[in-house]
Amino acid sequence: MKEELEKSSQSTTSSFQVFFIHVCCGVALAVGFWVARNVYSINLISDPTTTLRLIWAFEFPVVILLFSCCRQKPEKCSYLKTIARGLLGLPIGALLNALGAFALGAPVGLQYLEKTVSWSLLMSSFTFVPTACVYGSCWTDWHRIFACTKPKGPLDFMLCLPAHGAVIGAWFGAWPMPLDWERPWQDWPICVSYGAMAGYVVGMVGSIGLALTHTGGKQLKAE
Amino acid sequence: MAPLTCTKLSVITITGIVTQIIGLSVFVFGFFPVKPALPGTSGSESFFAPACDFVGNLSDTTLPSDQLQSLYQELSGIPPSFDRLILMVIDGLPAEFVLGKNEKPPKKQFKEAMPYTQSLLVSGSAIGYHAKAAPPTVTMPRLKAMVSGAIGGFLDVAFNFNTQAMMDDNLLGQFFRIGWKMVMLGDETWIKLFPRLFKRHDGVSSFYVKDTVQVDQNVSRHLRDELSKDDWNLLILHYLGLDHVGHIDGRSSVLMAPKLKEMDEVVKLIHSSIIQSQINRPGRPLLMIVSDHGMTENGNHGGSTYEETDSLVLFIGLRNHIFEYASVINQIDIAPTLALLFGVPIPKNNVGVLIREAFDSLKEDQHLRALELNAWQLLRLLHAQLSGLPCRNLPCDAFYDHQSSSSSECNHTTENMLCCLYMEAAALYTSWKSKRGFESASNKDYSRTTSAYYKFLKSASEWLSRRTTDKPVKLLALGLATLFISSVILSSLMFCWLREIYHGGKQQTSNLNDRMNGWSFDETFIVSAVLILVTCMTSSSMVEEEHYTWYFLISTFYLLLLRKTAQSLSAVGLQSSFLMQKGQSGEGFFRICCIFLLLISGRILRGWHQGGVNWTSLPDISKWLEQAGSQYVKPLQLISAVLVISIGLFALFSIETKGKYFQMVRLSFLISGLLVLLHITRYQDYAFSSTNYGATFLVQIIYAILGAVTIGTVVALPWLIPLSTSKIFPADNTIASPIFPSIQEKFPLVELRDSLYVVGWAYILCWCLLQLLLQQPINTTPVLLLLLQIVAGVHYFVRSGTHHKEWVEIAGFYYLGMAGHFSLGNSNTLATIDVAGAFIGISNHSTFLSGILMFIITYASPMFILLSLVMYISTKSMAHLVIPEKANAGDLLMMLLGFPCLVPLVLNSILLTAYTVVLLLMQNHLFVWSVFSPKYLYVCATTVCTLIGVFIVAATGFYTYFVLAMRKEKACSS
Repeated sequence: MKEELEKSSQSTTSSFQVFFIHVCCGVALAVGFWVARNVYSINLISDPTTTLRLIWAFEFPVVILLFSCCRQKPEKCSYLKTIARGLLGLPIGALLNALGAFALGAPVGLQYLEKTVSWSLLMSSFTFVPTACVYGSCWTDWHRIFACTKPKGPLDFMLCLPAHGAVIGAWFGAWPMPLDWERPWQDWPICVSYGAMAGYVVGMVGSIGLALTHTGGKQLKAE
Repeated sequence: MAPLTCTKLSVITITGIVTQIIGLSVFVFGFFPVKPALPGTSGSESFFAPACDFVGNLSDTTLPSDQLQSLYQELSGIPPSFDRLILMVIDGLPAEFVLGKNEKPPKKQFKEAMPYTQSLLVSGSAIGYHAKAAPPTVTMPRLKAMVSGAIGGFLDVAFNFNTQAMMDDNLLGQFFRIGWKMVMLGDETWIKLFPRLFKRHDGVSSFYVKDTVQVDQNVSRHLRDELSKDDWNLLILHYLGLDHVGHIDGRSSVLMAPKLKEMDEVVKLIHSSIIQSQINRPGRPLLMIVSDHGMTENGNHGGSTYEETDSLVLFIGLRNHIFEYASVINQIDIAPTLALLFGVPIPKNNVGVLIREAFDSLKEDQHLRALELNAWQLLRLLHAQLSGLPCRNLPCDAFYDHQSSSSSECNHTTENMLCCLYMEAAALYTSWKSKRGFESASNKDYSRTTSAYYKFLKSASEWLSRRTTDKPVKLLALGLATLFISSVILSSLMFCWLREIYHGGKQQTSNLNDRMNGWSFDETFIVSAVLILVTCMTSSSMVEEEHYTWYFLISTFYLLLLRKTAQSLSAVGLQSSFLMQKGQSGEGFFRICCIFLLLISGRILRGWHQGGVNWTSLPDISKWLEQAGSQYVKPLQLISAVLVISIGLFALFSIETKGKYFQMVRLSFLISGLLVLLHITRYQDYAFSSTNYGATFLVQIIYAILGAVTIGTVVALPWLIPLSTSKIFPADNTIASPIFPSIQEKFPLVELRDSLYVVGWAYILCWCLLQLLLQQPINTTPVLLLLLQIVAGVHYFVRSGTHHKEWVEIAGFYYLGMAGHFSLGNSNTLATIDVAGAFIGISNHSTFLSGILMFIITYASPMFILLSLVMYISTKSMAHLVIPEKANAGDLLMMLLGFPCLVPLVLNSILLTAYTVVLLLMQNHLFVWSVFSPKYLYVCATTVCTLIGVFIVAATGFYTYFVLAMRKEKACSS
């Protein structure tokens, strides 16, 4: 399986691959939830930190292993090296996500530190790690995908749509936080995490849909 | 469509503004009506059943007072229980301090501070109540409510400073009519409310908010004297000190316990003198201790939280009762209770209900009679408000068969329900009266009758007080329609103009930058932000927590700017571009730094005050600093003030123009800056010192210098600035347009830019210095951060050239201003208005001046942004102004001033109109008076602020341009 993927992932990616990767990511997310709920009998509301870490523990390996298969220029960069740069991308992405959250008003304080760290690790695996695995530190590709949002081809869409979905979902997820409904899920980062995951899933579905309808790598303008 | 010209644009804009003002005033006067009240005063007719076509004894008014008094006694059938009343008002005392909360005793420190009062409560000679005050919890409306029993209109807040004589029927007027002699010591609000009613008075002003000692000494100094006299029937004492303590330091002030102790001493003095005098002379005096409202944890009031509405009523001298826990009544219940205890008619517009325990000492029939009188009075009020009250004539039908009134009738409409409750009570009363002779079951009947009466009274009172008065629908619709039209005029004007500029208008320059034409993401965001704001206004909790929306939107906007900057960074790769095109990359780097500055200072601002309603108790920077103590606040304040002043002066010095005039401007700002620093170090120290003559004088000097310099700069600068032959730029602006020289021949552009730059900074510096002077010490750093944000924003937009459309930038500034408004500690409740600051530097009471100061403090941030637009214009627009050869002065001015004036107007107008619609939709909402109406007042004030700011920007621009153009023409012709 791994060899198969490696061969075909030069610059174009087949719709099957996109489908497979996204379904695996989605399943990992679901398994994370399931394990948290049925094995440890916790959920995001009762114990956000542990649950987020648990979900991350299932999601991150899947993400890093699968997306590393799609790396660009596989002849120059071994699979292990790709995984290494994915691992390196994780803290950087987490830091960026955390800074973004702080800028938008996430609470700063020691009692929130654990939650914020777990949340930003998960967000990093949604947004930063896949692109770090695939493109490494190539500024042009990053610029194309994240600054301009002009993805080219299914591979770009596969990176771009779920990441943007997660960020936008998290943004929308923050809206109920100041309301006075006095629900436990209004705390940081519970509803933001829900929003992020929902957005991530929507982004993956969109990416699969685009890959299925536009096989062959037509150029699309996202905006 | 004909192209827009300057004249046309300004005429349409002014039309829009005028329509807006008209619409707003029509709506406001429709929605906040001056409370319609039953005219006239209650006389002897109030002792007869309401609907019996009884023509009241018209000679009432002409009767001499002693005859009137005996007439009332005869008619009422209730002998007055007391003959003298001592009403002690302690301003701002929460009942929690005396009676505790949630059936728990009060805090130990408060309990120990009032040993005498507590002993009275324990022994049962005092009865305490939590009296729920209706919002707005501000002194004057509360006093009115206490003496008239009516719930005041909302606009009474606005008149709180401008006290007017009370014309409605009230207790004091009734007492005056039966010939009572009244003495008033304390808050002069009473004297303003009831001029000529008092035999003797000594008013103190609530004006020196920082004075907590003298105000109360001025009341107590006459006390012994007055207590020894017996020529008065009513003695009012109004102590303001406790409220002042609250305003300065909040509930947990160190001054609170000594102040309570002082109040306790006063109670002790009065009570022991009452006990003494009872031995010497007949008659019973009643001592009543009330507070007009409570206070929040920070000591503010005005809103409708439990802390603010929890006021105290304490009767001392009623028959002894011992209650475990104090019960809850309404503040308006005081009026009917006092009226019947002292044998005068209940005031006409009273909505209150008799306090049960106050009448326990009466005989059964007298108690029932009192209840009947209260019921009749409320029924009259109900008749006036509900023309279709079905039981209109029934009380006259001699014998109402109470068998037929089954309780099932009591739950149809409000009218039916109230009527039915009344009939039931009246019937029970009649049957009780007929059975009175027989001893049997009379006690049971009595209690049934009283509970039936209370049921009616309570529900009628609740209904009457909840009912928002009938609104003139036509007036409201007219106001709303006018507002809508004005907002349509303004926004369509802006839309047309946008289309003209960016899409094939007369000044199209497609070659300049293709980004000018696209509809980019930040523009979509700005527009959707308006929609989000409008949506958020419809939910009461989102209105309470509005600041979160603004913070979230503005920081999202910054992040979008960051993304846009990243977009524009060359795709070649950062490192290479850093080597090759150092200039461009440096620009990008600078812009990213600006955005990071914006983001960081925005985040600090957000954390500075935990505003709103629900999350105010969460920790924030200001609380943290205040806990850390003044040794941290003070240096921080000084550093911020010095930084603010030096940034402003640096900006003024950065323009490389020599000349005595410039030096003078700089020097005078330097002097006023130093004076402000002097004031901060010497006088703003802490609130313990009472108002100081030196401080006031210094502040007045600063006002004078600031005013003179700013106005002088604005007026004189265009005349004095040297007409350029050489090029002079503001030092920070390095962009030169290739077509610049040709335009320069025609228009005085360089001079215009320079003078607007200097004037803009003069405005900014003046405003900052005012804020440093007026804001609370803790708010100095937010002022600095706001200034930093403005500077960073302006620099960012200048550097990014044409990446953003001008209107997006100005809308961004407007949002920044609104976010800053909340980060200075403001919220949508009236309680957060800083009253104490409004008296800085005023030596005698002036509603007008302190109103202006309050406005300056509250609207510091939005006004700041609008004023800094003058500076923004000077740095921004000329760098990329595209002026065709045939352009005339009008086009130039339109390009310069159009967006900075239009965008704030349009945004404000849309928000105003949307909020007006929301207010209309919500007029029956539970929170209409506590959440939506205060917010509407804020929206109105924001409108005023926007109009003033835009006027200043436009006037400055026009004036400067015309003076310069005139001089240029003269210079050319000569």
